Parts: sequence; structure tokens; C-alpha cells
Amino acid sequence: MIESVFKRILTASLVIAICIALLQGMSLSYEDKAESPMFEYYLENHEETGAVNLVEAILLDYRAYDTFGEVLVLYISIAGIIILGKEIVEGKEEEAADP
Amino acid sequence: MKSLIVRTFGRALAPFILMYGIYLMLFGPVSPGGGFQGGVVLASAVVLILVTHGKERVRRLIENIEWFDSFGAFVFLLFGSIGILIGGSFFVNLTPYSMTSLVFLDVIIAMKVFAGIVVLSIFFFERGVE
Repeated sequence: MIESVFKRILTASLVIAICIALLQGMSLSYEDKAESPMFEYYLENHEETGAVNLVEAILLDYRAYDTFGEVLVLYISIAGIIILGKEIVEGKEEEAADP
Repeated sequence: MKSLIVRTFGRALAPFILMYGIYLMLFGPVSPGGGFQGGVVLASAVVLILVTHGKERVRRLIENIEWFDSFGAFVFLLFGSIGILIGGSFFVNLTPYSMTSLVFLDVIIAMKVFAGIVVLSIFFFERGVE
């Protein structure tokens, strides 16, 4: 009983914390630019990659190495879900077969 | 078996969703979109058919779909390694305008994301509901 109450309080506080963290993003504006010379460089010279889409230019040209990591993260997460998920489901089936 | 309305709408909508996904994938550099978004939209068409018509309808497509997931990541790595082979750094620009490589990488990423999302959906449809 106490554990479930504790869990609920924990969940509620977690949700509130995430809400506060997300609300911080709303206070940002375009005036608060990052103090980096790359910021201006990307905006002015991204046509040199051939891509009009600035996001695409950064994602696949300037920062392709990061995108490679992103692809690997997706791959590993899907492989992990399938491997662990099969394990869990098969374990449950075995328990149901011979209790 | 789903109702006739659901089946008809699923069959009618899937080609348009596929076409929009291909558009997002191929026109990533010149319009909003890109590999990840295109792959997810392509996968949503297959998931729609999966929900409305069952697994039998897309059996030939999804037989070896896990393979594409690994293949996409591997081709991405190989493409980056070309730069090391011809002298230079990882993901070096092969042409002065890297438009070709952008579209190529978009297609590779879309294939990879498509395969991954479809694999996940099949897994959850089969195992998750118990």
C-alpha cells in the first residue's frame, strides 16, 4: 500500500519535473543565439552543399558522422527490443506451460 | 477480419502514403523532409495494411525485412569509409556539390528506418497483445 503511494508520488513528481524542463524551452527566442562562429557559417554558406534545406545540409553533410551514430542508436535499440522482447515472451510462455 | 469500410480505406490510402514517403525521401535536400521522416511515413503505409488486412497481405515484403535494417546501417558505414580509402577523412565530400551523396544517404537512411519500424510493429502486433 505504502509502496504504491510512494510510486504514485514518484511518478507525479517525475511528470512535473519533465513539464518544468520542457517549459524552459518556451522561454527561448531567436534573439538568444549560440555564441559560435559556426552558427553564422551554417546559415550563410549551407548552399555550398547543394542542399537548400538547412537541416538536411547539417544532418548529412556537416554532421554526417553524428547521423551515423544516430543510425547506429536506432539499429541497436531495435535489435535490443527484439532480442530482449523475445526472451521475455518466451520466458512467460514457459512459465505458463509448466507452473 | 476487419469491416469492409476499414479494409477499403486502408487499401485506398496506402499508395498515397507510400508516394508521400518517397517524395519526402527523395526531395529531402530541397524541401522539408529527409531520410528519417520519409522512412517513417513509408513504414506507416505498411503498418496501415498490416492493421487492416493482416500479415498475410504483406508477407512477401516482410519476409526478410530484418536484413534491410542491418544492410542500411552497413551501407552507411561503407559510404563513410570510402573517404578513408581514397585518402581523406571519414565522410569526405566525393563531389564538389554533395547533393548526390545527400540523396543517396537519404535513401539508405529511409530504407533502414522503414525496415526498423516495420520490424518493431510486426513484433508488437504479434507478441504484445496477450
